[in-house]
Amino acid sequence: MLEAEHLVFAHPGQSTSYDFSFTAEPGEVTAISGPSGSGKSTLFDLVAGFLKPESGTLALDGQNLIHMLPETRPVSLLLQADNLFDHLSAEDNVALGLSRGTHKAEARRRIADVLRQMGLSALAHQRAATLSGGQKQRVALARTLLRDRPVLLLDEPFSALDDDTRRSIRTLVRDLTVRQCWHTILVSHHADDIAALASRRYQLKDGVLASA
Amino acid sequence: MLTLPHRPVRIALSITLALAIAGLIIAVLWAILAAATDTATPSRVDIPHLLRMTSIQAGLTTIFSLAVGMALAWSLNRLRFPGRDLVVGLFSAAIVTPGMVVAFGLLSIWGRNGWINEASKAIFGFPLGNPAFGLSGILLAHVILDGAFAARILLARLDAIPASRLKVGQSLALSTSQRFRLIDWPAMRTSLPGLGAIIFLLAFTSFPIVLLLGGGPANQTLEVAIYSAVRLDFDLVGAVRLALTQIGVCAIVILLASASTNVIAPPHGGSTTPLWRDGAFARALQWLVLALSTIGFVLPLLSVLIDGVTGGFGRVLVQPTFWWAFGTSMIIGSASAALTLVLALALCLGRSASSGKALRTLLGTPSFAYLAVPAVVLSLGFFLLIRNLGLAPERAAPFVVIVANSLLALPFAVATLGPPLDAIAHARGKLIRSLGLSGWQQFWSVEYPLLGKDIGLMLALAFCFSLGDLGVIALFGTQDFQTLPLMMFRALGAYRGNDAAAIAAILLIGTILAFVGLPRLFERIAHARG
Amino acid sequence: MVKSISMALAVLFGLSALPAHAQDMPTLTIYTYDGFAAEWGPGPQLSAAFEPICGCRLNWVAADSSIGTLRRVQLEGATTEADLIVGLDTAIAGEARATGLFADHGLTLDDLALPEAWTDQQFVPFDYSHFAFMYDTDRTTTPPKSFEELIALPDDFKIVIQDPRSATPGLGLVLWIKAAYGDRASEIWAGLKPHILTVTREWSESYSLFLDGEADMALSYTTSPAYHIKEEGDETIKAALFEEGHYPQIEVAGVLKSSDQQELAKQFLAWFASSEGQKIIPTTNWMFPVVDLGADLDPAFAGLPQPEKTLHLSDEDILANSSAWIDEMLAAVQ
Repeated sequence: MLEAEHLVFAHPGQSTSYDFSFTAEPGEVTAISGPSGSGKSTLFDLVAGFLKPESGTLALDGQNLIHMLPETRPVSLLLQADNLFDHLSAEDNVALGLSRGTHKAEARRRIADVLRQMGLSALAHQRAATLSGGQKQRVALARTLLRDRPVLLLDEPFSALDDDTRRSIRTLVRDLTVRQCWHTILVSHHADDIAALASRRYQLKDGVLASA
Repeated sequence: MLTLPHRPVRIALSITLALAIAGLIIAVLWAILAAATDTATPSRVDIPHLLRMTSIQAGLTTIFSLAVGMALAWSLNRLRFPGRDLVVGLFSAAIVTPGMVVAFGLLSIWGRNGWINEASKAIFGFPLGNPAFGLSGILLAHVILDGAFAARILLARLDAIPASRLKVGQSLALSTSQRFRLIDWPAMRTSLPGLGAIIFLLAFTSFPIVLLLGGGPANQTLEVAIYSAVRLDFDLVGAVRLALTQIGVCAIVILLASASTNVIAPPHGGSTTPLWRDGAFARALQWLVLALSTIGFVLPLLSVLIDGVTGGFGRVLVQPTFWWAFGTSMIIGSASAALTLVLALALCLGRSASSGKALRTLLGTPSFAYLAVPAVVLSLGFFLLIRNLGLAPERAAPFVVIVANSLLALPFAVATLGPPLDAIAHARGKLIRSLGLSGWQQFWSVEYPLLGKDIGLMLALAFCFSLGDLGVIALFGTQDFQTLPLMMFRALGAYRGNDAAAIAAILLIGTILAFVGLPRLFERIAHARG
Repeated sequence: MVKSISMALAVLFGLSALPAHAQDMPTLTIYTYDGFAAEWGPGPQLSAAFEPICGCRLNWVAADSSIGTLRRVQLEGATTEADLIVGLDTAIAGEARATGLFADHGLTLDDLALPEAWTDQQFVPFDYSHFAFMYDTDRTTTPPKSFEELIALPDDFKIVIQDPRSATPGLGLVLWIKAAYGDRASEIWAGLKPHILTVTREWSESYSLFLDGEADMALSYTTSPAYHIKEEGDETIKAALFEEGHYPQIEVAGVLKSSDQQELAKQFLAWFASSEGQKIIPTTNWMFPVVDLGADLDPAFAGLPQPEKTLHLSDEDILANSSAWIDEMLAAVQ
């Protein structure tokens, strides 16, 4: 279980102060919604580790994550766009999700494996710049799968996609969450995405989270 | 924010390098002081007067060069015509061509017997006058060297504007001036302080051009006074004092520039320029800027080529000494370029990984070491250090020349690689951190492929700086160790003007080839493995 | 590839510098200025002629300038590898002597043909020429015949000179005007000022400006026309002879006290100042030899007009006052 308790933060020079508390269960999607400017990206950066809170705890199964750097946190990210390096092939982008020191043959096998699971085998050697929006998110999810961190942090990952793609990626996220037992946190203001995915919901208002 | 990837090794390396360069300068000055005897006549120099004259000259050079560079980059970014790459290559070639070659090229266009006065005599029956000497001459020559260089660097910034931004701008139907203000200016702005500092320092310490075209001792630089203190008066303490004055002034400029380059350049990469043409008036202006620049910049270099080819081309090419000097130049140039790449990467990678303003400023300074320390002091200090180490100066000469040439090219290399590396660290920092990429992965998978063209440009710059260097080699060359510029200089000193002209032309051709070829080559290599 | 690697090694480590068999021969290390050791300069030909005689090897080490050779041995002191310096001149001989680094040459130099008597105990002359302004007969039909005539010409008659702080002829001109005009020197300099197109760092730059037609006259040597006559068949470049007389540059060589090859070094000097060594000088260094070569002197030199009067300043006078004279010149043309 991922548990945030009174993560307090204020941007320098701004009067708004945030105080976040929430819990997220494994195998479930926890949605956090709120209008723009309500502090969604601040929450996102706090969980990912790009911002340090003034006080509070963020614990995964009892282990405090607050002092961990972004690269060592058990968290993977999926952003709205720019998840990939455009100049690398789909395969090379996915490979970045492998832990260092993985044996070459082992790496090749696992990359081919996730690409197949995601239905991307045909696109393996294509440059990321030439992929469609849905294909890009699929490649990024493949990388997440390879990385297999217990927490998946999603920032409006479906908003740049057309309706059909959106549905299929949504399904993919839900299936992966259940199968891999991820604590998936969806930061979004799209009601239909939340309705389709979330088992638990929070509403962000005036700097605090309220269960919805 | 913790979005910059955490790279302690990079930062430690660049701090070490910065300290090593600082240590080298201190060692050089110390070695000179230790060798000083008190028998010397103290040199008499009016330092305030020199500083005033030099600052005016360098300040004007900087302003004009940046203005001309921006206008030219703006025009070249918009215009497409056959031979554009060659023109860009010629512009880039100016700054690394030995100052003397450019100065004589300038004279054959603008001088008393130059093409322009000859044309005027033929058409109007009287000459237009001689702007090539005095302050106007110095400025003209400096703007040719530095303005064209500025144009090359700024053009790279403009060419890197993301296509999406241009599409948005075009769909908003921005006017020409709005487009400049909202799209071009922000792209160029980040490069201006560093570029301005480099140009100021180049002009501040420019030696051969100021002396050749200056018209007399009124237009002198501190470097001349230092040369005189070292050579004529043998007043080493005085030379160190003058050198410290120059280092002090340069340090102020460098710190200002280094501190103000914190604004982050736009993301680098994807620039398939969409066909967004400016209005008819703007396009006419662009063609005019290009035409004037071509007359101003390209003709002097062209005249060097013509003089060389019509002069002793064949006679020079059959000399074994020429080929030996040619090989030496290539080897020294390649080694310097490689060393420059390593040094520049160490500094830039460390700087792009550090967020503290003070640290970034500190890491921005060492690249300017060579510009701040007078060449004659540096070479004297190197000479003494090598002797103190018990080595024969002739044996160490090639390595000294390689190190000195790398330091010479370093500010340009850092100006080329720094902004794109900063941009990558900022635009992609989150993703790189969240993926937990190692420093090596970050370099090999992300930075290197995106930097391919910049690395090529940087290598071309460093190679050509070394290829055209006369300041260092003149003090360290021997009979068996001679590069093309030194051979040219020696030919000129032995009445062999035709040989010198031919070598100058060959140097220029080499420079242009390197500038047109290397960036393309490296873009291809870098992409091949992407 | 192998070839370029071996070339790289040769450049970086100087592997080609020594032929293998030469290593057990005695070696004379000679510091000289750049142009002297150059391929077309006197150095290689002197080596070729002298090495078989002495059974030794001449190792030319070129500094960037004549004064650079002196500064280098001063910096190196007793640890210098140099046995000789070739290429100082009379303008800095006094200062060089005062360093106490040079040994007496011990030669009897009776048959010298110099414009002035030679009594120097440390330095041996090896070539000379007078400083003079060059003009092109195609462009200037009646050259000035004195500094005062030059000053009286219209201001658009331009000359190029060199900085006395960096170039030998530049310093030579300061001495020339001083020797000719004494206390009136600064007046002459002020008169020259409007005619001075520019003051270059090196002789070569001024000379190129003159050849390119940017200036009407350039400060050089009375022997300069010989190059154009001999190598280019061009008789239009001439030296303007001034009635005040001309100041000479006499280039000298000296043995360092610290050398462990005193005898060999003196043998070289004696040979160098003889007609055997001297016949190499004119067409390589483009200066007059210091002995009468008779028919061996290239006709390009034999026909050159010579100044009627040679000016002279003593070593002591130069050593004591040259800084002040340079300041005087700089102040006047500033």
